[in-house]
Amino acid sequence: MEKKKPDLSNPEIPEGINASDEHPLKEFFWLLIGITVFAALVIGALSLSAGWLAQKIPFEYETQLADHFPDVESGDSSNEARIAERLQGIADRLSVEQNLPEGMHITVHYSDSDVVNAFATLGGNIVIFRGLIEALPSEDALAMVIAHEIAHIKHRHPIRALGRGVTIGISFAAIFGMSGSSAGDRVLGEIGLLTALSFSRTQERAADETALRALVNVYGHGNGAIELFDTFSELEQTRFSEPEVLRTHPQSLDRLAALNDQAEKKGWRMNGESLPMPQVLLEHK
Amino acid sequence: MLLSNLEVVPHKKIVRHLGLVQGSTVRAKHAGRDIMAGLKNLVGGELKGYTELLQDAREEATGRMVEQANAIGANAVLNIRYATSSVASGASELFAYGTAVELED
Amino acid sequence: MEWMLQYFEIFFALCLLIVGYGFGRLAEKRHYKSIFKREKKYQELLVFSLKTPPEGLTVTDSRLVTGSVVVSIDYFKKFVAGLRMLVGGRLRSYETLVDRGRREAVLRMKEQALLLHADSVINVKVETSSISKGRRNSIGSIEVCAYGTALKHA
Repeated sequence: MEKKKPDLSNPEIPEGINASDEHPLKEFFWLLIGITVFAALVIGALSLSAGWLAQKIPFEYETQLADHFPDVESGDSSNEARIAERLQGIADRLSVEQNLPEGMHITVHYSDSDVVNAFATLGGNIVIFRGLIEALPSEDALAMVIAHEIAHIKHRHPIRALGRGVTIGISFAAIFGMSGSSAGDRVLGEIGLLTALSFSRTQERAADETALRALVNVYGHGNGAIELFDTFSELEQTRFSEPEVLRTHPQSLDRLAALNDQAEKKGWRMNGESLPMPQVLLEHK
Repeated sequence: MLLSNLEVVPHKKIVRHLGLVQGSTVRAKHAGRDIMAGLKNLVGGELKGYTELLQDAREEATGRMVEQANAIGANAVLNIRYATSSVASGASELFAYGTAVELED
Repeated sequence: MEWMLQYFEIFFALCLLIVGYGFGRLAEKRHYKSIFKREKKYQELLVFSLKTPPEGLTVTDSRLVTGSVVVSIDYFKKFVAGLRMLVGGRLRSYETLVDRGRREAVLRMKEQALLLHADSVINVKVETSSISKGRRNSIGSIEVCAYGTALKHA
């Protein structure tokens, strides 16, 4: 039997069948844009509804969430305690004017730090820094700050910010936990946190308005607001970095203009004589 | 194109042997499906989404292998084997390979 | 400078992405270049996945040959794949990875066969496994092993 030699060969197979030649950056940008837009929409909607739901949380629960704040012992005669007491006095008068809901009470804390800042947080707690008191010209201006922070609490802004923050955090963890990409997790999680932990401009404006009403009712005029925003706009100009308190806030002069409009509409007096800063607040040591 | 996992085609003679051809693809289901599959894992049963995913991927891998075979002038792929591996969690790789041959008509 | 510290994490990840993209692409280009070159060079050595030698072939010697390689994906591609997994579909960045791995493994097997002065390799099988699967967030790498029987024709 004749043995025919088989026809064997390995022809060259063309490229681009199993791996495409498309530029990887193209896919990258399309995916990044698409996912960012989608995630922004979904997370935006989620965080809005979470913020809305959060203000339905009873204030008592909020207080329990925040009970890690150390209480100043009564009878403590240190300067710090006296300052906190005086600040509390101002806050109490302003809170009466703001018609706080049943069960909501404000606690003012004093912090010995150079930071020019004050903030409102969960459980009706307000923290005022020494740097802020030293930067302000009068009791009225300080009262405006305190009234502003009380207004945040009245409008439940801290718990809403927490609701938003938690939602955004969970969403990011969920999305990027699934993708298994540590880089995505880190980068986008970071951005999410940065946007979550602040009050919105609208919230600031609302707090300004409520605060001015209380200020006018207690002090008879709104001069404190004028002094406060003048001080802030000076600080904005002289410092390279903005004072902490202003970072998320609308420009001071814009806010003042908005308040002037408001006062004109409601017939409030803006000009008047401010009370000097109480000496006890300046005697730290 | 004749595909087979036999070594020879009954009643047909191999005219030319053209060597190894392969097709592969890596695929993932979107995140929603992954969640559903995770839930389904609680009760057991067929994970339809993943069955579909692997089915699609297998077809695509086969298609690519056939494309390679066509490109070198074969009319059959014999002794086809399939292999699956998970390159990353949530993504699976389908790989098909065989020997491209030319059969007599 | 202050903002840079604040956004350090983002900045760091971005650097990794850029480095991953640059070097990953360079490495891939080089690898493909060498694959093309060697595939051309070894084209004379025939490769089949059939179990038995083609009919009518006289074989004088047969020996097992293997070739294996571990290739890893770069940071950039992993990031893209992570995004892609949210949407679903074809993971292009992994496709080039497995393509490279597979061809490299076959080439190494061929190199071994050439050392034996073989004329063809039959019953070639290719196995792929991912070696860093268990740990989350680890960079994905795969091992490809190709093996077959090298034949010496008469």
